This record gives sequence, C-alpha cells and structure tokens, in this order.
Amino acid sequence: MMLKTRNTVVVAVFATAALALSACAAEGEGTSSAGSEETAASMTEGTLRVAMGSPGEAQIAVWDEVAAAYEAANPGMTVEMNYVDDDLYQTIGLPNLLSGRDAPDVYFEWAGSRLRERNDGGYAADVSEYVNGGVLSGIWADSAFSSGEIDGKYLLVPHKADVTNVLWYNVDIFDEVGISPPTTWEEMLETCDALNAAGYTPMATGNKDLWAAGNWLGHLSSRVVGEDVYDSALAQRSSFGDPEWVEAFGYIKEMVDRDCVNDSANAIADNEGAQLFFQGEAAMHPIGSWLVSWAIDEAPDLNFDYVNLPSMPGAGNQDSVIGVLTGYVINEKSELKDQAAAFLAMANNEEFVGKFITAEAVPLALSAANAELDARTAALNSMLGDSASIVGPPDTDYDLEVADAFYRAVAAVLGGVSTPEEAAANLAAEVD
Amino acid sequence: MKPNKPWVPFLFAAPALMIFSFAVLVPLLATAGFSFVEWSGYGPWTFVGIDNYRELLTDALFAKSFLNVLFYIAATLVLEVFVGLCLAGLISVQRGGSLWFRVALFAPVMLPMVVVAVLWSFVYNPDFGLINAAFQNLGLDSWTRIWLGDPDTALWAISVVSGWVFSGFFMIIFYSALQQVPGELSESARLDGANEWRIFWSIKVPSIRNALEVGVLLCVTGGFQGFDLFFVLTNGGPYNSTEIPTTLLVRTVFRNADVGYGSAMAMVLTAVIIVVGLVFVRLRGWNQRKEVRA
Repeated sequence: MMLKTRNTVVVAVFATAALALSACAAEGEGTSSAGSEETAASMTEGTLRVAMGSPGEAQIAVWDEVAAAYEAANPGMTVEMNYVDDDLYQTIGLPNLLSGRDAPDVYFEWAGSRLRERNDGGYAADVSEYVNGGVLSGIWADSAFSSGEIDGKYLLVPHKADVTNVLWYNVDIFDEVGISPPTTWEEMLETCDALNAAGYTPMATGNKDLWAAGNWLGHLSSRVVGEDVYDSALAQRSSFGDPEWVEAFGYIKEMVDRDCVNDSANAIADNEGAQLFFQGEAAMHPIGSWLVSWAIDEAPDLNFDYVNLPSMPGAGNQDSVIGVLTGYVINEKSELKDQAAAFLAMANNEEFVGKFITAEAVPLALSAANAELDARTAALNSMLGDSASIVGPPDTDYDLEVADAFYRAVAAVLGGVSTPEEAAANLAAEVD
Repeated sequence: MKPNKPWVPFLFAAPALMIFSFAVLVPLLATAGFSFVEWSGYGPWTFVGIDNYRELLTDALFAKSFLNVLFYIAATLVLEVFVGLCLAGLISVQRGGSLWFRVALFAPVMLPMVVVAVLWSFVYNPDFGLINAAFQNLGLDSWTRIWLGDPDTALWAISVVSGWVFSGFFMIIFYSALQQVPGELSESARLDGANEWRIFWSIKVPSIRNALEVGVLLCVTGGFQGFDLFFVLTNGGPYNSTEIPTTLLVRTVFRNADVGYGSAMAMVLTAVIIVVGLVFVRLRGWNQRKEVRA
C-alpha cells in the first residue's frame, strides 16, 4: 500500500480548512519574513515558558529541538517546555498553570469557546501586530488566523487542524470478511452484522472520559438534526427537547441494538479502546486524525484506513467533517511577548515544519506545501479542506457544562441505560 | 500552675495557629466567599447570593453523590474495618510467622492510591482483565462482567479495591490494640472452657473498643474524602453510578469551570463531615458515660 504521497495542494487545503472552520475571512498571502524571527528576538535574559498537552514522543522531540535552536539563537534566553498529560491539560492542567506564579508565556489551545474563555480571562494576547508585518507574517495564509480571531484580534497562532473523528477500519479484517467500509447508515448496520458473524467486535471505543464517543456521536447527531440545530442546541439557543434529537439518539440505540459497539465502551479509556483496534479484536475505531502516528508507533503492522462517518438519514450535510483548529496563544500577562512570537515563528519555519511532518503532525504553515505526507494524513487534510461543512466538537466549541451534559446523555444511550426519549428529555432538563 | 505572662501560651501556639490559618482557615473562608459568586476561575465574578446553595437543593446528581458515598462508606466499614478486625484476630492467634502475613496484608497501604487504581483497572478490564480471564478459563463465562462499566457492579468494585488496600491498615491498628489486652483475661476464659472464637468476640473485641471507634471514625471520614480511586477507575461513571461529592466537585470546578457552584458543594460537604464528626464524638461520649454508670 502506498503510504506516502506528495501533497502539492496541502497549503490550499489548510487555508481552506481554516476558512471553513471560521466561515469567514478572505484568502491572501503575506510577505516573506525570512530571518525576521532572529531580528525580533531581543537579547534580554529570561525564561520563556511553553505549555502544551503531550503531543507524543516524536513531536516532543521536535519541540525540544525548537527550544534548543531558540536558545542558541538568543543567548541569555532559556526555554522551559512543559508537556502535560492531555486529559489533565484540557481540564485542570492549563488553568492551574495560568493562575500559577510561573505561568506559561506560550500555551497550546483549541479554537472556539476555550479560546474565548482565555480571552475573557485576560490570558490571550493580540498577535495582530506580529502577523501584520511582524515576525509571524508570511508564515501562514491569512485565512489560517480566522478561527482564532475574536473581536478583530488574532489570538491564536495556528499550528494544526485536526479532524476530530472519522471511522478507522482494519483493512485486513474487512478483506477477510469480504466487506467494504460503510458509506451509508444501512451499510453500517450490515457491516456490523457481518463482523459480528465473523467473530469480531465491529467497533471499539473507550468512552470512560465521555469525549471519545461523545464527539463521534455528536457528529452523527449533527448529520441527523442538521448543523444549525446542532449548533443552536449546544449554544443553548434551542432545546434538546425538540423531536429531532430523539430521532438522532434513536440511531445510537439502533447501533447498540445491532451490537455495533463493544460492551465495555463506557468502562474503558480511549487508549484502551484504541488497543482493541490495534490488537485486531475490533474491526473499526471511531477517533480523530491523531490515530495515524499513534498506530504507526504502537501497531506498525496494522493495515488500516478510514472513511468519514457514513451518511445518515437526516437534515444535515452528509459530507460534513468534525474538526477543530489548534494553535498557540501568547499569554497577555507575559513580559516576553516579543520573544514568544519569535519562538512561534521559529517553530513554524521551513526546517521545523518539515520535522513536524516527519513526526506525523502537519502544521498549517505555508511551507508545508510539497511535503511528503502519510497518505491517510494527506487524505484527511484534503477531506477537512474540501468539506463545505465543519462541525465543531462539543467540548472545544461550546460551553463545557453543556458539552458534559451532552456527552453523558449520549453515553447513557450508548450504554443502554436510557432510551432516546429519556436521554433527550434529561438533557433538555439539564441544559435548558 | 498559671504562667507569669498570660500571653506566653499564645506565643507557643502561634506557629501552629498560623499554619492552621494558612492551610485551613483562609482556604475555607475563600471557598465560602466563592460559593456566593458565579465565576469561571478567570476574569470578573458575579455575586449571586445564595443561588448556588438553592440550586444544590434541587440538584439530583449532588444528592445521588451523597447516596453513593454513603453506600461506599457502609461497604468499606465491612470490607475495611470488619475484615481488618478479623485479620487482626487471626494473626494475633497465630503467632509464628504472623510477621509475613502482616507485611503482606499491610503492603497495599504503602502503594500510592493512583498506582493501586491503575493496577486494578487492569484487573477489572472487561476485555483483557484478570478477573474475566480467570472466569473464562474456569468455564464460568456467564460470571464475567463489565465490572467498572455496569452501574450494578461499579461501586462494589471500587469498594473491594478500597477494602483490599485499607483492611491491612485497620488490621495493624487493631493488632496493636489486641496486643494491649491482658493475657490473663484470655487465659481465664480458656480455663473456663471458652474457645478462641468466643474469647475473641467476647473478651478481646470489647477490650479494644476505643480502637474500634477510632477505626470507624477514620473509615467514615475517610470515605467522604475518597477521590483518587473513583477518579482513576471510573471518573464518576458509568451514568453517575460512582459519582461521589468529591468527583462531582472536581468535575464542576475543573472541567466545567464553575468555581462558584463547586465551592458551594465544597462548603456543604465540609459541613456534612463536621456534623458527622460531631455526632460521632457525642455518641462516643454518651457511650462512655453509659459505661461508667453501668
């Protein structure tokens, strides 16, 4: 199987992805700023603190190289990298760091409600001056900043665009059973039947922490209720008590009734769910684009590919993609904003973009054009870029309390303890 | 004897009071203050009066979390205190080689709770865990369960882990107390024809009543403070069946960023623990007076 492909359209794809994510902003290219990061970095002494959820060993090695290169180019400056466990970072990790005495000068963040929250808290600096003619100009297409733009200020230095969920499948198992990856809901149920008959668990998910199946089933629901209804309900402008939500949750129940998902779904963590897929016990695994590097590390012999969520009978765009833009924020309270901007410029120069790509992370920087990507990663990027409809994950794009309630509702249906009617009614009562 | 300078006792107590104020009093007052505001942990807050407490009154999940923790406490009273007492009785009877039993049974107490939780998550894993694998190998497939994913078994499963850890702790406490029971009492009973079972329950156990009461108090208050096992093994799930006040509080404050509401939860939880402690002290005093009268 050809795993590598030259992705000559990657820049356009990323730019389009960012455009779609924000549904605004005009495309344009900035001027070159080669070498500008060096001039912008002052010679002052200090410690630049950078915080992020752990991106995996390969990417950590690249970030460490960036830190070393920055220190070498800026005598007197020290870079302190802080890699926090992902789940911890997303919950108590980052708030604790930001409110601590040695708060990070640069930190990883998701576009959406989390970024708005950081802005409201006074922890997000406006990087517009660095983007418009400063050290950060010319590195990305202008549209890449649109998702991180709030009140006319660029708050997020873009790094990657992740597809939050697709349906990964084990090619060898599918070949053995003689089936094709499902593209419609009916095919999905038939696929489950065929895999069950062959003795495989059709799909494995580890939903103990609720987000794994929560995002997947959120996307499924959006296809049924329509993106507008999905967005307005999660944004608390309409009610989950509306009948289309019962219908959406009904499909989850149908999937459970057909034994599509592992019985242990709500009892195991996301990495345990992935292990069932890696070990060949489950034939499909719904999770995000980060699975590629993970699977290559942990299951190098696994022959796997993906399809987007099968089209659902419903009002939504059946080609929609669930995804989110991620990047780095410069702390408004930092006294090293110039240095932080120069550091981010260096992390996204051509040399390090190439290294990130080798580490299975594809930055949004323009220099990622012509890079050799894993075929699946390239295809995922194309899918994200080409999609006319990007659905935001509940826990990054909406109020966390609402997202939590939504995740619990779908987990209850997935676990068979709530009917679709009960889940929708309980969710409506909790959120409304 | 009265000190010459009346302020001297306060001087000696000052360091302890300062540490207490810094570590307990100030955080408690701050939490009390936060419980009257709506705040995400960032930016400005909004004063909401007692709204957070009003909302708690109608919060079914908060009420359920207390029911869950009461169940957990009841289970651990048996699995930790009662089992610990039985183990202490066993090793106090069998003197030769009991050191190894004591070390083996006390060892789990020395492990960090998170390590214990991760270890048991493998034991309970429904797909490749030790328990289900054992049942399958014994041909008892129908006995396999999704231990931590089934609302009927999850809380029991956590209680068993807690019992595995702390029964050794209580065993050591009770074993130490049993060593203080005069041997003459047991000898007399033995001469009167009492067997070891009767001697243990009718002579030794009543003699270590104080240690038992301390054990029960530690178990009850420790139960309210339980968190790490729940957080790692189930994180309150499935479907809130293992949600206890501390996990709910952490989720509310640190995941949902609702500091005000979480602070109100913390204040209510603190009040409940204080009330339980006071009731326990009262009951103990009442029992002691009753004994003196008897």
